Amino acid sequence: MNYGFLIDQRKCIGCHACSTACKSENQVPLGVYRTWVKYVEKGAFPNTRRSFQVNRCNHCANPPCVRICPVTAMYQRTDGIVEFDPRVCIGCKACMQACPYDAIYIDPETHTAAKCHYCSHRVEVGLEPACVVVCPEHAIISGDLNDPESEISQLIARQQVSVRKPEQGTAPKLFYIEADEVTLTPTAAPFSDSFVWADLITEQQIPVFHAAPAESLVPGGDGRGAAAQTAYSGVAIRAPSAQGLGREGGPIVIGEGSMAEHMVQTAYNAQHEIPWHWPVPAYLVTKGIGSGIFILLALLFGLNVSAFSQTFALMATLLSLLFIGLTTVLLVVDLERPERFFTILTRPQWKSWLTRGAFILIGFTALAGLWFLLEGGAYLNFLPVSLVGALRPVFLTLGFVLAVLAAIYTGFLFGQAEGRDLWQSALLPIHLVVQALMVAAVVLLVLGQFIAHPVELETALLWTFGASLVVDLFLILLGEFGMPHASEMAARAAHQISHGKYRGSFWGGAVLAGHLLPLALLLLGASGGGFSFGFVMVAALATVAGLYLYEYAFVMAPQELPNS
Amino acid sequence: MHQRLNRFLEAVASLSSRLSPELSLAGTAIPAVDAARPKAANLSALPGAQERSPSASPLVAKGEAAGLSSYPPVEKWDEWEEYDPKAWPERVKRRYMLIPTTCFNCESACGLLGYVDKDSLEIQKFEGNPLHPGSRGRNCAKGPATHNQVYDPERVLYPLKRAGKRGEGKWVRVTWDQVLEDLGERLRKAFQEGRHNQVIYHVGRPGHDGLMEWVLFAWGVDSHNSHTNVCSSGARAGYAFWMGLDRPSPDHANARVVLLISSHLETGHYFNPHAQRIMEAKMAGARLIVLDTRLSNTASLADYWLSPWPGSEAAILLAIANHLIHTGRYDREFVKTWVNWEQYLKAEWPAEPCTFETFEEKLKELYGEYTFEFAAAESGVEAEVIRQVAEEVARCEGKLASHTWRSATAGNLGGWQVARALWFLNVLTGSIGVEGGTSANAWDKWVPRPHKMPPHPDRWNELTWPDEYPLTFYELSILLPHFLKEGRGVIDTYFTRVYNPVWTNPDGMSWMEVLTDEEKMGLHVCLTPTWSETAWFADYVLPMGHAAERHDITSQETHGGRWIAFRQPVRRVALERMGQDVNYTYEANPGEVWEETEFWIELSWRIDPDGSLGIRQYFESPYRPGEKITAVEYFRWMFENTVPGLPEAAAERGLSPLEYMRRYGAFEIRAGVEAPYIQPVEAELLEDAHVDPETRIVYSRAPAPASPNITPHPAFPDDGGGRPVGLQVGDQALRGFDTPSRRLEFYSPTLRQWGWPEHTIPGYIHSHVHPEVIDQQANEFVLIPTFRLPTLIHTRSGNSKWLYEISHKNPLWVHPRDAARLGLRTNDLVRVSTEIGYYVIKAWVTEGIRPGVVACSHHMGRWRLQDTAMERWSSALVDLTPQGEGRWQMRHRQGVLPFESSDPDSKRIWWSDVGVHQNLTFPVHPDPISGMHCWHQKVVLEKARPEDRYGDIYVDTDRAHAVYREWLALTHPASQVSPDGTRRPYWLLRPFRPTRAAYQLPSGKFAE
Repeated sequence: MNYGFLIDQRKCIGCHACSTACKSENQVPLGVYRTWVKYVEKGAFPNTRRSFQVNRCNHCANPPCVRICPVTAMYQRTDGIVEFDPRVCIGCKACMQACPYDAIYIDPETHTAAKCHYCSHRVEVGLEPACVVVCPEHAIISGDLNDPESEISQLIARQQVSVRKPEQGTAPKLFYIEADEVTLTPTAAPFSDSFVWADLITEQQIPVFHAAPAESLVPGGDGRGAAAQTAYSGVAIRAPSAQGLGREGGPIVIGEGSMAEHMVQTAYNAQHEIPWHWPVPAYLVTKGIGSGIFILLALLFGLNVSAFSQTFALMATLLSLLFIGLTTVLLVVDLERPERFFTILTRPQWKSWLTRGAFILIGFTALAGLWFLLEGGAYLNFLPVSLVGALRPVFLTLGFVLAVLAAIYTGFLFGQAEGRDLWQSALLPIHLVVQALMVAAVVLLVLGQFIAHPVELETALLWTFGASLVVDLFLILLGEFGMPHASEMAARAAHQISHGKYRGSFWGGAVLAGHLLPLALLLLGASGGGFSFGFVMVAALATVAGLYLYEYAFVMAPQELPNS
Repeated sequence: MHQRLNRFLEAVASLSSRLSPELSLAGTAIPAVDAARPKAANLSALPGAQERSPSASPLVAKGEAAGLSSYPPVEKWDEWEEYDPKAWPERVKRRYMLIPTTCFNCESACGLLGYVDKDSLEIQKFEGNPLHPGSRGRNCAKGPATHNQVYDPERVLYPLKRAGKRGEGKWVRVTWDQVLEDLGERLRKAFQEGRHNQVIYHVGRPGHDGLMEWVLFAWGVDSHNSHTNVCSSGARAGYAFWMGLDRPSPDHANARVVLLISSHLETGHYFNPHAQRIMEAKMAGARLIVLDTRLSNTASLADYWLSPWPGSEAAILLAIANHLIHTGRYDREFVKTWVNWEQYLKAEWPAEPCTFETFEEKLKELYGEYTFEFAAAESGVEAEVIRQVAEEVARCEGKLASHTWRSATAGNLGGWQVARALWFLNVLTGSIGVEGGTSANAWDKWVPRPHKMPPHPDRWNELTWPDEYPLTFYELSILLPHFLKEGRGVIDTYFTRVYNPVWTNPDGMSWMEVLTDEEKMGLHVCLTPTWSETAWFADYVLPMGHAAERHDITSQETHGGRWIAFRQPVRRVALERMGQDVNYTYEANPGEVWEETEFWIELSWRIDPDGSLGIRQYFESPYRPGEKITAVEYFRWMFENTVPGLPEAAAERGLSPLEYMRRYGAFEIRAGVEAPYIQPVEAELLEDAHVDPETRIVYSRAPAPASPNITPHPAFPDDGGGRPVGLQVGDQALRGFDTPSRRLEFYSPTLRQWGWPEHTIPGYIHSHVHPEVIDQQANEFVLIPTFRLPTLIHTRSGNSKWLYEISHKNPLWVHPRDAARLGLRTNDLVRVSTEIGYYVIKAWVTEGIRPGVVACSHHMGRWRLQDTAMERWSSALVDLTPQGEGRWQMRHRQGVLPFESSDPDSKRIWWSDVGVHQNLTFPVHPDPISGMHCWHQKVVLEKARPEDRYGDIYVDTDRAHAVYREWLALTHPASQVSPDGTRRPYWLLRPFRPTRAAYQLPSGKFAE
């Protein structure tokens, strides 16, 4: 048994019966949808058409929401239905990030994730899903894909079908007959802040395209970017535009359509909440500090950069533990069901980097905490110094490994977020380590203002700080944003950060305050100014604030792009 | 085992019946899934049949056994177990009783299946009723949303009486007994004093068939008033002049060409059943042609979308007709047999030979001017596109399913000619009453006669049937405020039922002025399930049941077939089935919500408690002589006596007819197309009959037998020479059409006789918004204000949260070219000025509208004057301020806000906009012939002025009255043109038809 859906858009009349039948069957609250119908208008009068598309969970054969769920609240049944259990869900919203189809929402009543579950409660008593039954046109077909004689199998076999975002590798089992590219591709149709009969109250949006004045358009052509250069042959050519962003100023238009502002526009869609807000970038910063401090600590002592200083070790470990603790608090606070946090420990789903991360953080906290107690014990002469000293390399080594994992696991977690292409960056783990070293170094420099560091330690920290600032800047400018992105969604998100809504945070915050200012301060200090308290504090604040603003843009921008 | 075998045999039978040439590799036949024609589940398979998804029926046996079902098997409806969806995936069983009922949102009367929880007796949900022949188990968005209406925390649950001044918004709860006593007393007094015409019953959505004919005839009043002339008068008139019957019944499913001047894939009479069959036809290869100025969802799915300048539709249709005529591609035999061409030639061309060839020549002359180029010039649609469409129609092979209802016929002066021109194409192609063609509604409709039908009333009410409109279809309801203002009469008691004229009708401010004038309007009783703008101006607000809280019989011409459906109070039925006695439906309803059937019986009883007025006799039980009939007895008698085939079908299953309808909710009287006009005249009528040698009309002196079906038909009394009952065709006496000529009246002697000789044949009348009267340079536009949305139904769906969540605003559609000229972008405010005022609304810039035309759905803009619990899901709180005599300003104070209620969802309302109530700014535009309010408006657009705010409305009702007078001057009153001293051609359909004597104009009024 392998259940799937087929939407026959040849027959769909856009009546929304599926939407209300689903609300009725599953008692779905206002504000969220398990299935909805998107409208896109295209064409210039009188050759205009409105395309419909029924959207919902794709019941992917390879569901990313299941892989990322830390507690098996989202799971794939053996009959192919992707189901959820609100009794287990902790509300981490990772599944919403993993879903490339905007199919998952947080239920306002239970505060847990929810979506279309193929009416599995009906299927188990032998009934079709409610949307299938209600559809006046029998345009929604459910059935067993394993059965070659089922209606769905035969239609898929005989008709040309398409799926949404096959490149995500999710193997969707929601097939469409004659769905239009303008509805299949979320970025193909721009929308304004309201629809043909409904408002749009959401943070999620793609840029609104405004038409240039008609006279600036070239009739019969693309219109934009009129001849800018000359080819070798002498023919006038257009300058290539930015990679990955599609046609600047809107979708490709045809014929007389280029004269029309609203050649393609979204006329109706459901709105979707953004799952993660400020706690996530804040968590990235605190985790960077917490893990980075221990990495530095281990490196400094492990590589004998500086002689072991118990005071420094204790203070630094305490700081590390504090920031990792803060990290955990932020993580838990951001859960919709924080009281269920421990479910991760009781029913871990090991494929999820959220689970792995939680265990890494816990492991790190336990190890660092134990070491802190040992060193503290030795410091207070409760424990023999020799024993502690002998164990020290073990703790430093294991702690180093766990701290590195703590710093980088978010990269793998973000990598599991199939719905956010920008986050799926191979550079991310290394980037996270560099960021961790950068903020940890400056925090430890601040610490040095209270407990005087040995000179070699201070120097090492300054060098680390300076080097990580440079490397991080390099990674940001050339890696994350200079390098073209593999998908349009990633490119659009990056564009929003560097040129759009977040350009202030990015250039002013991340680049200027977060990197150039501290670098300038470092150079000033190194060239004779020295590193006074105020100097270090300014550098630290600018670096931490810059990192936060960077992470904020990095976390928010991809979420604001529609996945449907 | 037996059941399985049956199922297998059925599957094999269904397979063999549609053996497709395609064979799979294994050699077994592949079912033709694409061409599958869904049909309602077959009751004959009962008991024991697993009801399957209708269109999945051709699945092979294997799929049948393994697949999922669409519905619980019928034999388990009493004891159905399902898992609780909220508790899932925890497996919590819930026990339900499944009771069929009928949707009450639009007029389609689709089947619903109410899931009554056997433990809590709450209604869990509504699904489709698979046994309903019209909807076949499927529904639109409004079907499931019935649940919202039943559980609306803002619904009216108790009878309320106004406490302060009318419209002041102060109410006290009263008992039903007080209400009934007061009304009974009041009406008895009116009837005793002969003031019958001061009682008016004004209905929006009837939702039932036959009931009010029974009640109002028993009262002896000509009181019926409807919403027809804001809806379908234009189409009705056009159809009725052709064939006597006023409504089409297309057999979309089997058509080769579906031609719509309507948007039946998203709204309209009968949206869901029609949409199913239109798409079936399309999937089977039929061509879909849609004329609609705006890009409707229907137009979007059409093979040909024609966006004509509003009012030019008839020009296009006549160009198609001209193409058929000039290329000779029309059904010559059909036209020769069934069209009254001889009458036409004799009347208009008496000097020429009365041969069909002459007529054919005349046709060419008459329609020669309707070239594709002419139609293109009038409509703006490319001539080539019109030619292609004409070719498609020419290729329809007698299978043209066409439909127009509101749309162009309701928008334009002379809109009735659009229906006439459209039907002309059915006539020319012979696509009438045949498979894939179009029938008349009455052929596919069955209204069972009740046990005791009172005689027709002997009165004529001039407040609803004024002298000026002898040909109207039907009551001039929109003119009531002006008639009252002019002193044409007063109203003692005014019932409004599922009707919201203040909001729905044009010129709502004039309605408010009249409703608040206690001298003109004695008592206003509002029968409604929910609050409305009109209920606010009532003296009594009486709560009536929603779809799942009442009994009604409905029968609609949804397709080639004939059925009746039974709306039921599902909780009452469940309680009864569980062994509980329920005497009245309100006992099972929430609060003190009644159903109308019980209300009218009770009220009628109290009007005439001793029988002295002659009313009581009709309300006595056929089963318990002398005692008051119950609602259930009223329906039971019809099921037992006047629904053909039902008693037998019930007996086969060991049920009484009532039990059958209780259990299955619908009965199919006939499947397939059947047209009476080609059937022989009944033998008993031929016993005393003769044929007029010249007209070949068959006249019979035999009295008309009382038909068990009381669907209204034209009336042809015996004036001495017998009644016309048929037409001699060859050697057969066939029934023919319900017209004086028994033929399709291409030529309407009626229109000639009643003062309109220029409009006797299908023609093209310049609309009041014809391009010649629109100065585009002065920013004048045509406004199309009529279109519905697939998710809403007038003001009846305001309390459906799931529907309002999807659609809650009505921006003005503006073409980008016009938007650029006016400096508008989507969401910019625009002021729309009409003849009597203006409104301020947001723009929606789209290529889906013809340049020069703007459109705005009428569905939005609900408002309330006080922030009390009143439709807060869907209405804006407004200030209504008089600006001097007859001048009104309305301004939004706030949109929709979340609120606390028993439904946690009311706190989650996320939308705030509810749109703008544009109808307030429209004056009445009654078509001088059909009486249709011609909705389209000439408007002036401008960017909103600095003082304008979203939702602002300004209206001058003095100006509105002046516009009414202008349109009234276009009429030809009966008193001036009547050829025979009657108020209206007697043969023409008229709902609630009075006696023939009442048709006589009073002496002194007749000009001759």
